[in-house]
Amino acid sequence: MPSFWAGAARVFDVSLGEMLWSRRTVFMALVTGGPVLVAFVVRVAFALDLPAFRVNDLVVSGPTIFGLMVWVFFLRFTVPVLGVFYGTALMADEVEDRTITYLFTRPIRRGAVLMGKYLAYLACTGFVVLPSVMLIYFLVVPSRGGSLAAGFPSLLIDLALLALGLAVYGAVFAFVGAWFRRPLLMGLVFIFGWEPAVVAVPGYLKQFSIAHYLQGLVPHAIPQDGVVSLLAAVFREVPSTASSLFWLAVIWAVAVLLAVRAVERREYVLDQ
Amino acid sequence: MTAPLVAEHLSKWYGQVIGLNDVSVTVPPGVTGLLGPNGAGKSTLLKLMTGQLKPSQGRVLVLGEPIWGNPALYLRLGFCPEQDAFYDRMTGLEWLTALVGMHGLERDAAEASARRALGAVDLLEVADKKIGAYSKGMRQRVKLAQALAHDPDLLILDEPLAGMDPIARRRTIRWIRDWGRQGKSVIVSSHILHEIEAMTSNICLMHNGRILAEGDVHHIRDLIDEHPHKVRVRAEQPRALARELLAEADVLSLTFESGGIVVETAEPDAFYGRLTALAASGTHGAIDEIDSPDDNLQAVFAYLVK
Amino acid sequence: MPIHDQSYRHYRGNRARPGAAWAVIAWAGIRALLARRLVLALLVFAWVPFLVRAVQIYLSVNFGEIALLAPTAETFREFLEQQRLFVFFVTIYVGAGLIANDRRANALALYLSKPLGRTEYVAGKLAILFAFLLFVTWLPAMSLLGVQMVFSGSAEFVARNLFLIPAITLLAGLQVLLASLTMLALSSLSTSSRYVGILYAGVVLFSDAMFQALRAASGGSMAAWVSVTANLDQVGDVIFRLPGRYDTPWLLSAVVTLGLLGLSIVVLERRVRAVEVVT
Repeated sequence: MPSFWAGAARVFDVSLGEMLWSRRTVFMALVTGGPVLVAFVVRVAFALDLPAFRVNDLVVSGPTIFGLMVWVFFLRFTVPVLGVFYGTALMADEVEDRTITYLFTRPIRRGAVLMGKYLAYLACTGFVVLPSVMLIYFLVVPSRGGSLAAGFPSLLIDLALLALGLAVYGAVFAFVGAWFRRPLLMGLVFIFGWEPAVVAVPGYLKQFSIAHYLQGLVPHAIPQDGVVSLLAAVFREVPSTASSLFWLAVIWAVAVLLAVRAVERREYVLDQ
Repeated sequence: MTAPLVAEHLSKWYGQVIGLNDVSVTVPPGVTGLLGPNGAGKSTLLKLMTGQLKPSQGRVLVLGEPIWGNPALYLRLGFCPEQDAFYDRMTGLEWLTALVGMHGLERDAAEASARRALGAVDLLEVADKKIGAYSKGMRQRVKLAQALAHDPDLLILDEPLAGMDPIARRRTIRWIRDWGRQGKSVIVSSHILHEIEAMTSNICLMHNGRILAEGDVHHIRDLIDEHPHKVRVRAEQPRALARELLAEADVLSLTFESGGIVVETAEPDAFYGRLTALAASGTHGAIDEIDSPDDNLQAVFAYLVK
Repeated sequence: MPIHDQSYRHYRGNRARPGAAWAVIAWAGIRALLARRLVLALLVFAWVPFLVRAVQIYLSVNFGEIALLAPTAETFREFLEQQRLFVFFVTIYVGAGLIANDRRANALALYLSKPLGRTEYVAGKLAILFAFLLFVTWLPAMSLLGVQMVFSGSAEFVARNLFLIPAITLLAGLQVLLASLTMLALSSLSTSSRYVGILYAGVVLFSDAMFQALRAASGGSMAAWVSVTANLDQVGDVIFRLPGRYDTPWLLSAVVTLGLLGLSIVVLERRVRAVEVVT
């Protein structure tokens, strides 16, 4: 019988193609193509030196805009949304399509099925999100005095941070999807209800969110404007890098273990 | 030889609905037919036998071991589910290779096994075609192929003939009989008696989540022969077909439906034999589908329940 | 001996007049949803802000010195804005499967083979979502107006702000219509309610994220028209006779909102069919 990881690798092979060529690709193209479009607009506006792109008659630098876009679009929107969308669907898609039977009647552990699909999710979203961030970097950062070379280390940190975010959110929602009957609503409430609320409230509650720890790893100064001014206040309580990494690793490991355990124990009754 | 399947006081309920009620049965080696009307509990029993569901009470032993949470057992077990569900974007060969690969075979060996299985169900020619483009009959056959591609000792087939045309049915019945002769144990579910009868004489009769009878089909046969047997035939030229069929004395009555006929016969064996020959010859146009309503079987169940 | 006719007897009772079948769909849908505990919990939870506001009104009426709590026309505007969160979740939970589940079960052909037009089918489905959304927007807002009258013992506030009745009705109606039609259009695009739910959340939140990014980069709010919620805010301010909060002209916001409604109707017209014609 194949080992847990060999089984997961086989499921990964099957699932990656299915995920990449699914209808979700349209959705992914929307959520990752939009920021690229905005970056393009910003680049054109910078090139034409449009007055609309000045704040209090001061120019906003390319790296600042890039940092802002990584925060607003990716960390606060794309990464959690993709985590909910794909994480909760890892098993649910197969159950809805009634193809789960073919995977569950193979000599591999059910947990390996989940793990294989989770790895496929990581690869699939990584392939789409990370190049989009790089494209934005190349479009926006060189404008208004920014230097591609100087900002490169921060780009690498951003990419690693986004990959980490995808991994942790994906793991948490894989567990939610494996455990609960209606995981989507729960996932949306978590990312658009719970997280913004607890991150904004002073105190220890924010420790029960993923966004709090991801904030601790952001290499940019969070812009002090509009919606993000709230987050600037939050930044005063930001955890250290080591603490963030530690807790994100703990959340990831616990979520993955619970998800594997839930899938191994749960019965999936298919619609006829 | 170990019985391939043993169920002991097996029950399964979904909330307040009982799917299977205290079933104890020992399935012998060879081909066994699981027969019962829709809703009898056949699919629930098969899902318990294949470890997709956990028994609410009792236990099920497959090849001498409990199946729930025992993935190693799937090395020796092949399952063809009832549902018409696939990864439509994959070709038949890709799909089978991927599934066989999960049994621990290297890619080349997995592909060879996949090709062998596709050949066994006459699908080699369309192996590189996407499953989404397969006809209903081809989809049924590719499902059979995935069940036998890893050469299991025990095959469990849930309604494998559903949606097939008469010629494909005949071929599939022949394959199932052959697999039984090759030493595999095969459990086949159906709600059509004559289909099961053509594969094996050993049957389990289910009704309302219980096993009503098990053993030799001839005993059941005697019971059913007391009742006329209804057969619905969808054909290209129903009137021409009707003329041909009415010439024989075993046809008791015949009614027309849109695109087909419903025949009542006193001798189902002889009737099905003639019908298959007519389908193969094509003299009265194509015969698209043959279906036997449950009524007769239901009458036997009613008789057995009394 | 009289011989009775044993054959099938056709229905000879009354029939609903043509065009009323949507009500059957609506009632069946509402009843089915009300049987779900989570829907009930969501609906009850959506009335919590109403209770908070009612306490606020009570305190302002009984303790005149807390002038800060005294309700104004803006209080009702803010209340409807707060309810947006519940509109979002109710729309997703109730609306995502309305057409998608029928498409999944191939039930559209079944529905449309009855004496039931496509418009009636859509109207029935729309009425389900409409009913639930009005229950969490218009009804609590109007009840709040009633509470103000009851607690203060006079109709003076209402008489002074009579425009609040049409304003609440108009804004709640627009909010509900936009959410319902957009969701139904998305629901008609898929067979998976989960996919529809996330697509709706994506459209609403992504458009807002676009606006926030453009706002931060440009230092102004001219780009508010790209956000579904910002457009509603802008139009809502005008309805409540308040100055618009964004630089985008309110007319542009209104046009974009109407455009979205029009687009949803076009999508529904193309997708709600008994058979899908593949060309």
